[in-house]
Amino acid sequence: MDQLTDVLAAISHPTRRAIIDQLSKGPARFLDVAKPFDTALNSVTKHLKLLERAGLIERRKQGREVLISLKGKPLQEVAGWVHEYERFWNENLDKFERHFRDKKEKKERKK
Amino acid sequence: MKKGKKTLELKFERVIPAPPGEVFDGWLDPKTPGTPWNENDDLILQPKKGGLFYWLIRGTSHYGRFTKVQRPAVIQNSWMSRYTEGEESMVTVTFRKKGKDTLMRLVHTGLPNNQSGMAHQAGWNYFLDKLTQTFSGGSPRSVKEPKDWRKRK
Repeated sequence: MDQLTDVLAAISHPTRRAIIDQLSKGPARFLDVAKPFDTALNSVTKHLKLLERAGLIERRKQGREVLISLKGKPLQEVAGWVHEYERFWNENLDKFERHFRDKKEKKERKK
Repeated sequence: MKKGKKTLELKFERVIPAPPGEVFDGWLDPKTPGTPWNENDDLILQPKKGGLFYWLIRGTSHYGRFTKVQRPAVIQNSWMSRYTEGEESMVTVTFRKKGKDTLMRLVHTGLPNNQSGMAHQAGWNYFLDKLTQTFSGGSPRSVKEPKDWRKRK
């Protein structure tokens, strides 16, 4: 799978989105990440593996602890991909609407 | 589009201050600002049922075929570009009378999306808003989470 597919799959689950949300506030230890969820630690580990495979998080050792942190770049790429169409149609429709408003105003001025 | 494949749908609405027939004609006229074909490096446009279009802009080619051209109510065309990853997405534009104006709705369906639940656009908007705020240094807490997320766990 390409990275975009991995990222989209990774953020498809509410628990993983909640983990991303949590990590957007700063790096955290595994148990701190798992704490808010009413689910087995094994399940949280699986979610973290998917996020890691998508390049959305990284683990690094700090002394005796392993800190998990968010990597934002893949998310920005996804945002850009979705916005490509949203931006395109919004910009075009705004121009289209403006064109008709200008046309109407011109007509009314002539009256 | 392959059956069962998860796809993304985008919806837009505008109120255009002109009657539906005029707005309909404007959408198919490349001279009208804001139509997809207005700015182009190359264009072939056959706006009739079964007609094709080829639109080149800044090195990106777009292809499609018109599947509905029913004046003044609806224009539907398929839409392919590198952003549709080889899949045929569909753009449907409808025009409905709203007083002296026209309610114009554009729905772009079939955009490739391999992420389950992505069709929940509210969820996406929430997520992207949050993301934008996160990366722009704002507080992500200020965006309200859609209620149905918890149900879909």
